[in-house]
Amino acid sequence: MEFRRGSRVEVFQASSDEAWEPYMNDFIGAHGVVTDPDTSINDPDDLIEVSLQGKGTHRLPQDCMRVLDDRQGEPS
Amino acid sequence: MAQNTCPVQSTLQYLSERIDSRVLTDPKVRRICDSIRMLVEEISLGEAGDGHMPAIDELMAEFETRRPDDTAVQTREFLNRMLTDHREMFVSHIESRNCPTHDCGVIAPSPCQMACPAGIDVPTYLALIAEGKDAEAIAVIREDNPLPWVCGLVCTRPCEMMCVRGRIDTPISIKFLKAFAAERALSDRRYKNPEPAPPNGKKVCVVGAGPGGLSCAYYLALMGYAVKVIESLPFAGGMLMVGIPRYRLPREVIDREVAMIEDLGVTILFNTRFGTDVTYEQMTAQGTDAFFLAIGAHKAWDMGIKGETDFPRVIEAIAFLKNVALGDRHAPGKRVVIIGGGNVAIDAARTSLRLGAEKVTIAYRRSREQMPADIEEVEQAEEEGIEFAFLTIPTEIRGEGDVITGLACNKAELIAKKGTDRLAPVPILGKDFVIPADAVISAIGQYVDDSGMTAFDKIRWTRRGTIEVNHASMETSMPGVFAAGDAVSGPATVIEAIGGGKRAADAIHRHLNHIPQPRMPKIPVRRHKRPMIEMTASEKMRLTRPSMSMLNVDRRRTTFQQVELGYDEDVVRKEAKRCLRCDVCRRCGKCVEVCRDKMGIDALHLGYLDFDHPVKTDFRLTSEKCITCGACAANCENNAMVIEERDGKRMLKLCGTILNEQDIQHCEACGAKLPSAQYMAFISDKTADVTKKSDQRLLCNNCQRKQSARIHVSTRPVKNK
Repeated sequence: MEFRRGSRVEVFQASSDEAWEPYMNDFIGAHGVVTDPDTSINDPDDLIEVSLQGKGTHRLPQDCMRVLDDRQGEPS
Repeated sequence: MAQNTCPVQSTLQYLSERIDSRVLTDPKVRRICDSIRMLVEEISLGEAGDGHMPAIDELMAEFETRRPDDTAVQTREFLNRMLTDHREMFVSHIESRNCPTHDCGVIAPSPCQMACPAGIDVPTYLALIAEGKDAEAIAVIREDNPLPWVCGLVCTRPCEMMCVRGRIDTPISIKFLKAFAAERALSDRRYKNPEPAPPNGKKVCVVGAGPGGLSCAYYLALMGYAVKVIESLPFAGGMLMVGIPRYRLPREVIDREVAMIEDLGVTILFNTRFGTDVTYEQMTAQGTDAFFLAIGAHKAWDMGIKGETDFPRVIEAIAFLKNVALGDRHAPGKRVVIIGGGNVAIDAARTSLRLGAEKVTIAYRRSREQMPADIEEVEQAEEEGIEFAFLTIPTEIRGEGDVITGLACNKAELIAKKGTDRLAPVPILGKDFVIPADAVISAIGQYVDDSGMTAFDKIRWTRRGTIEVNHASMETSMPGVFAAGDAVSGPATVIEAIGGGKRAADAIHRHLNHIPQPRMPKIPVRRHKRPMIEMTASEKMRLTRPSMSMLNVDRRRTTFQQVELGYDEDVVRKEAKRCLRCDVCRRCGKCVEVCRDKMGIDALHLGYLDFDHPVKTDFRLTSEKCITCGACAANCENNAMVIEERDGKRMLKLCGTILNEQDIQHCEACGAKLPSAQYMAFISDKTADVTKKSDQRLLCNNCQRKQSARIHVSTRPVKNK
């Protein structure tokens, strides 16, 4: 899965990564926008910054998210 | 208390009113109430954990031991009553993180505020900027971020990514408005520090004067802590100073905001390396109560290609930018190649150009579309003449003796690897080429330098080489030691470091005052609610995001003058007015549903309300069908949609935007106020089956009844028996 700045994403599962903390279980099912992807080395292992609707902005492991679409906020 | 009012919210409001009005005169009672308010607020926001109710009980027990005056007695009795009678409700908020009355949801912050890692109350400060109150706007920003001018120039602006206006046309230019307000407030000499709390006798040592360290130091100083910051560089700012070039962030901007923090009594020890010049033992011996580590990520990764260590002109971008920040003004070479695709690569390229390099090329393994650098930065680099070699994998740095002659590369194609849809660059066989170069700068990322951290032997490190913390409190596994910024996240953003520093300051305060830590990172706090700014639907739709004036390209290629010149004042005020005020309208969509499904009118074209599937929005279309019945306003829980009667008009307004206005009518017989003609026509149509349509006289219900009665009496008089 490739995440870009502005990608709309869904947290669809808990991550097995060590960076996953118990409170993050509250985020499962939340939709949001990627605000800072793996900025330096395009590493699928990097934590990426995502702003989740009603939940705030957090850095999460990539395996808990899937892309809904690549452009946020554009009227269809 | 009304049955449908949330007791948690009522307690919070009562305590806030008591504390803010300063009626509690005993300092200990004030401190107890302030701590209870903080805990109740977290309960209302769904952030509380198992320790919150016991902590409140402990504070109440302490309250009982005081001999308070009448006001404090009233407060104590109120709290006792609420916590006893409604305990279940408090526990339910903690366990379910849900407020059954929705009262607690009413204070939910806007998406832009939620998106900001520091949680700045964006709608409030935009409203203040629109009103021309720049200093007040800066005061609001500094409640969550002590570096508004810095962020106004370099923030990655996640707020704009989530800006709801972006679902209609383009996001509000939040970043530049902040920069304008900061500059104007400083120019007007109205950029002031808040009054700090009296010294509490506790000491905190902050390691690193980057954005995270400065933020933590600022909020601790405001709470009355004595803060000492250890900094290895000769100036404060960390990556702001040595990682971001001056054409993006002038040094004066950093210096001014750092000076404001120092004015609060924060001591910064420059040219002092932790672990060498100052040790953990020395700081502990001086009575330091807590440590905050904000050491950043300053070490560059190796590229792992042939020739990397063979030539003096193979330079790490981060070291190059640092040397330039320290005053070096020599070009790295005539033909410079930068390897990488992030903002650091762009910064190194544009800096090389300004130092006199003749040709600067950025070699990146993937396509332009996948470049992680900010699109604005990429475009500005292109304007200045930087060249890009996409889908280029460096394989070897070639040269003769000490002199580099070129960078050997493979052309790549993007192919999805087995089991993943993530495209990876793969070399194309036989498509090798050399980019002529005499200097190569690597900008492929940084990691945390842990030297000097040996004394903190109980902190754990993640497999990514960062400090492991609990993100709710930024607390490490070593008691009393907290950390944030790039040292925790890896190379990330300025605003994330600032937010982490603020969170850590709060956590340190809790740690030193035995207050339980929150279960999850705190949801941002709405600071104020500014009045709506009235404007027509047409004006709201016509306003567009302004473009930025830029320094001319020749000067950009030769000097380090600031490239983005900022907005003019009238542009700023108008842009701030474009804000939709999502702190008030929660985009629940009830107004649209009621208008379309219950009333059958379908006048509201507010496609932006839907996060997942936004469709067209046009405020101007409302007036085509709207009958100003007020059903939408009556169903709006937040009073975002209101009906207002003024100057003979009945207006429908959404967060200040006039969606429709119609003439108020009056009864021809008694002068009573009547709905609009459109509404009357709508009712007539709906009741046509039962009531004969009358368009002869405009009468209120009473007068119509009287008239009907008169007609009945005259045409069918009641006969006396």
